[in-house]
Amino acid sequence: MEVQLIKIEKRNDVSRSIYFLTPVLAIFLTLFGGGIIFYILGFNPIEALKFFFITPISDLYGLSELLVKATPLCLIAIGLSFCFKSNNWNIGAEGQLIFGGIVGGGVALLFYNHDGFYVLPIIILSGAIGGMLFAMIPAILKTYFNTNEILVSLMLVYVAKLLLDFLVVGPWSNPEGFNFPETRQFSESARMPILFEGLRIHAGIFITLITVFLSWLILFKTYLGFQIKVSGLSLKTAKYAGYKGKTMIIIVFMISGACAGLAGVGEITGPIGQLHRNISPDYGFTAIIVAFLGRLNPVGIIFASLIVALTYLGAETAQIFLQVPKYTGQVFQGMILFFLLGSDYLLFFKIKFLGLKKNEL
Amino acid sequence: MNTKLKVSEISKIYPGCIANDKVSLEFGSGKIYALLGENGAGKSTLVKILSGVVKPDKGEVFLNDESIKLNSPLDAKKNNIGMVFQHFNLFETLSVFENLSIDSDKKDEDLRVLVNDILKKYNFKIDLDVPVLNLSAGQKQKVEIIRCLIRNPKVLIMDEPTSVLTEQETDDLFISLKKFSKDGILIIYITHKLKEVLSLCDEVAVMRKGKVVSVSNTIDEKIESLANKMVGENLNTIKKKINNFKNSEEILKISNLNFKSDDPYETNLNNLNLSLKKGECLGIAGISGNGQNELFQILSGEIITEGTSIMFRNKEIGKLNPRERREYLMAFSPEDRISQAAVPELKIYENVALNNFKSSNFFEKGLVNEKKIKEHSKKILSNFSVNTDNVELKSQFLSGGNLQKLIIGRELITSPELLVCFNPTWGLDVGAINYIHETLIQINEQGKSSVLISTDNDELLKLSDRICVIYKGKLSKIMNADTVTAEKLGILMGGGSID
Repeated sequence: MEVQLIKIEKRNDVSRSIYFLTPVLAIFLTLFGGGIIFYILGFNPIEALKFFFITPISDLYGLSELLVKATPLCLIAIGLSFCFKSNNWNIGAEGQLIFGGIVGGGVALLFYNHDGFYVLPIIILSGAIGGMLFAMIPAILKTYFNTNEILVSLMLVYVAKLLLDFLVVGPWSNPEGFNFPETRQFSESARMPILFEGLRIHAGIFITLITVFLSWLILFKTYLGFQIKVSGLSLKTAKYAGYKGKTMIIIVFMISGACAGLAGVGEITGPIGQLHRNISPDYGFTAIIVAFLGRLNPVGIIFASLIVALTYLGAETAQIFLQVPKYTGQVFQGMILFFLLGSDYLLFFKIKFLGLKKNEL
Repeated sequence: MNTKLKVSEISKIYPGCIANDKVSLEFGSGKIYALLGENGAGKSTLVKILSGVVKPDKGEVFLNDESIKLNSPLDAKKNNIGMVFQHFNLFETLSVFENLSIDSDKKDEDLRVLVNDILKKYNFKIDLDVPVLNLSAGQKQKVEIIRCLIRNPKVLIMDEPTSVLTEQETDDLFISLKKFSKDGILIIYITHKLKEVLSLCDEVAVMRKGKVVSVSNTIDEKIESLANKMVGENLNTIKKKINNFKNSEEILKISNLNFKSDDPYETNLNNLNLSLKKGECLGIAGISGNGQNELFQILSGEIITEGTSIMFRNKEIGKLNPRERREYLMAFSPEDRISQAAVPELKIYENVALNNFKSSNFFEKGLVNEKKIKEHSKKILSNFSVNTDNVELKSQFLSGGNLQKLIIGRELITSPELLVCFNPTWGLDVGAINYIHETLIQINEQGKSSVLISTDNDELLKLSDRICVIYKGKLSKIMNADTVTAEKLGILMGGGSID
């Protein structure tokens, strides 16, 4: 039998502009792949894609919803980029989001019946601290006990989810709530200010934008950012340069957790207004895709969060107009990641055909 | 069972280096053969050719007078050539038996009977059903050997097998190897340890710079004669002017330093003592893997040791990390210039910023001072004649020589009192080597000290004022460079002792 021998080689230099263009290519491939799926399901692909990607943002309300969804995604992804850039694989942003929500929500319930400008900032701050502390668990276990942060951070997601479940069913459930698994509605002073009458877009977007700016500053203009960059490229070099590896692992997890916590508290004080079982439609997991689609770059992440937010909205519209399940949105998210990883592979490696050879096996 | 193995006119050329140059050797069963040589002598390449990992450019291999083609490790197995590598290829979490059955085509029951026979015959004591990670290095090696024995090998090649073994395990191994040899297995034993050659092997082939320089019976050899052949006698080339440092100030003192590693592939350091005077260059010779890496990391602060053993200019530095040591005017040039001393994906000026300390002002109040770093980088590029003036260039586009100049320049431009460098010229062309050597001599002339850890003896003799040898994590006594001969160096590097 003759077989074609294939060798995979690393490419020597990858141009920077193509590096930032491949995510765009991945998005087009996703549209194409999505069109094929819709065609197989018996829809006109062009029409279906229009329902998915154009209809949801064709009015002001839709645009506002887009920003409402992009706000937490962008915030979490920015935080994750600190971890990923320095080779720390924090997969548990969802848990940090929920824990931030729990702590922020707890404080909000504590201030029930309180009025004052100070209430909201305290809630937001406590949410950030909650997420930060929760993220420090995998960081400390990694630095002092050599555990795998992927496993620990992922498993802690379920701990946070179950804790939230317990709280909203039991001790924190609304005394006037007919045993529904939810807390009281937060008081007005514990809610994010709405930016426009009639739309859901809220002040959380400013927190996200400020975080994006600060992250850019830290990553590109500070010594900490430089250390993160070097550690991400070569841990051996970081050690040789004398960077404090352990401290840095804890710092990036703290930043990441705080961002996820902020996102959580932004959700419960923004669009939701109380704690219940499903405060996040897996924003913490989807943000991993956002972070990579945005090339771990603050500006890239802004664009990526808008695109991925659109898949959430598109799925809802498609459910209404095409009667397909809303999980189609996750299919699209999966396709984006798949095509991104695929094109990255071809970007960094080339495939060489070495010709036919007799197979002696 | 009579086996004859012959390699004939084998040549293998890598870019910039002839690994094997018309190597011809003959082996016959019933004897244990030693293949002796320094790093880079060509032993490993030859062994890789015999085990099918590397294809020779020219030459043939004959097994029992028949020419055989070894295009892959599978071909080697088919021809009953077994190989035990220095680093084990075992699945740690699988049991011993599972590891053995993975690449065997026998039924599990048959295999178990066979393995038990082998265990009994050679008196190996290994529990087949424990996970491999619970075994000692010596036991893991036995598993590798059993894996070869299952296939009834005619030839068994052992690549530096004792580097991870204790003394007791080494003795055990030798007993087993002698038994295998009696049973008709041809054994080729690769090493650079002279004592092992004399106590185990019947014949010894010495390789140097890709060529076989001698084949002889071990009965006719002594440690001294083998050392001479291994290292070569043309060592006394240009030497630096030797100075007398008796009255100079002491810069560095290490006393009774011990280091024990958790990693079995790392070397433990035992009771190290050394001292260094101002303006002096101390050379540390040795065959690689004898503790040089660990010693470098201890000097640079990548490995932190208990506080009392390292004094630098009368200050205790054992607990300081590399960045903190730089504040005390130490500088370091590691062996691995591509993935440790510099990051290829970073721009030149970013790589320069890796050597950062307070007075450099690269980072003020936590912010990057790009202008300062770039100015500083420009100065390095011109002072150390690096072949570019573009500080924005990614370091991956620099040749090895230019990258090493950049690294040495980065370390030296701060006028450190001590430079520790580890194989600063490996893989470089002659021009770059000369430049680096001149630079290293220059800093000594300026009254700065240096520690040169190197596996290149020519380099050591050219640059050092005093030389010692590291062997199995121990330092020999420190000798004045003008009294060092090729013979002495060779004996010490091979684990022998001199008076």
